Amino acid sequence: MSEVHQKIAGLVAAHPVVLFMKGSRRFPQCGFSGRVVSILDQVLPGYETVNVLSDPALRDGIKAFSEWPTIPQLYVKGKFVGGADIVTEMFESGELKELLGDLAAPAAPAKAPSVTLTEAAAKAFADAKESADDVVRLTVDAQFKVDLFFDAKQADDFVVAAAGITLVVDAATARRADGIRIDFVAGENGGFRIDNPNEPPRVRPLGVVELKAMLERGEKLALFDVRTPPERAIVKIAGDVFLDEAGLAHLEGLSRDTPVAFYCHHGGRSRSAAERFLSMGFVRVYNVEGGVDAWARTVDPSLATY
Amino acid sequence: MSDHPTNFQGSIPDAIRDAIVAKLADARVTVAGGGGHFTIEVVSAAFQGLGRVDSQRLVYGAIAHLMAGDMAPVHAVDSLKTKTP
Repeated sequence: MSEVHQKIAGLVAAHPVVLFMKGSRRFPQCGFSGRVVSILDQVLPGYETVNVLSDPALRDGIKAFSEWPTIPQLYVKGKFVGGADIVTEMFESGELKELLGDLAAPAAPAKAPSVTLTEAAAKAFADAKESADDVVRLTVDAQFKVDLFFDAKQADDFVVAAAGITLVVDAATARRADGIRIDFVAGENGGFRIDNPNEPPRVRPLGVVELKAMLERGEKLALFDVRTPPERAIVKIAGDVFLDEAGLAHLEGLSRDTPVAFYCHHGGRSRSAAERFLSMGFVRVYNVEGGVDAWARTVDPSLATY
Repeated sequence: MSDHPTNFQGSIPDAIRDAIVAKLADARVTVAGGGGHFTIEVVSAAFQGLGRVDSQRLVYGAIAHLMAGDMAPVHAVDSLKTKTP
């Protein structure tokens, strides 16, 4: 058995539900993959996805492994189920739920989430409050986008008191918000800062000023340049690693909880790279917004731009 | 549906039909679509007793050469239906 066959066989054996797809669960990069993700999201609390775009050998290998020419491909309990077409049909007929059996256990009933408000956040709400009856509604949507606003309490809401402020949440938010921490930063680029432990890993934007501060503080952060050698010859950020073959080997050798950041000229190519390494299992992945261009213009004007 | 580049010469639906009939002689094949995306329906006794996955594998196996590579004439099969007569 070839190396890639062994890898696929291992993935299929290790996870009760594995979806081989283009892109990640949060960012499917093909309509068919997106369709299967949205179906699985409705019937399963969690499942494994493998981004075939991250590895050409895997992309071809899975087709040979399954004797199936298209992506996505769903495996349940070690058995090949099918592609988008078959999964959609089975979802509509109810066969999919039957096949998943106890894996498709209904989501746990919602309970009031634990919410932490920092003093600054509590003060921000208290200052904005117009009447003593005002309650703050916290919503966390399926994409884990957070919204906070004054609203009236609804009958089905959970009520949470934190730092003297009354918050209300609906049942769906309650499941997604347990353990959430809300902070407030004053000033021009200020606002609410949310730390939600339920949120799946995603690429986080990193501004060049913040990057400089992190580097100066000596924070553990591996910074990678994803550009071409001629661009690198013009300008680079000190202390980085060039993502050539040796750089890639270095990156792959890092423990998956190492914070990693990627930059390019303006931040577009590095975003794609960041998404790719996120799907390889890195959990703290940053994209340097604006790239080396923003760095040279904002942080270090002595550097060249191009 | 988007367009996908190919250097294939001739009718792609005909090529799909011919490839399937070459493998499943009794097959009645309906092909619709274009721009690399196709909808295929195949009626053949060969599917008797086979599950959905194995039935579709028979068809995909027949047209695999049309789906290989970046310049493949068949970029995606949007829908594949297999039936017994």
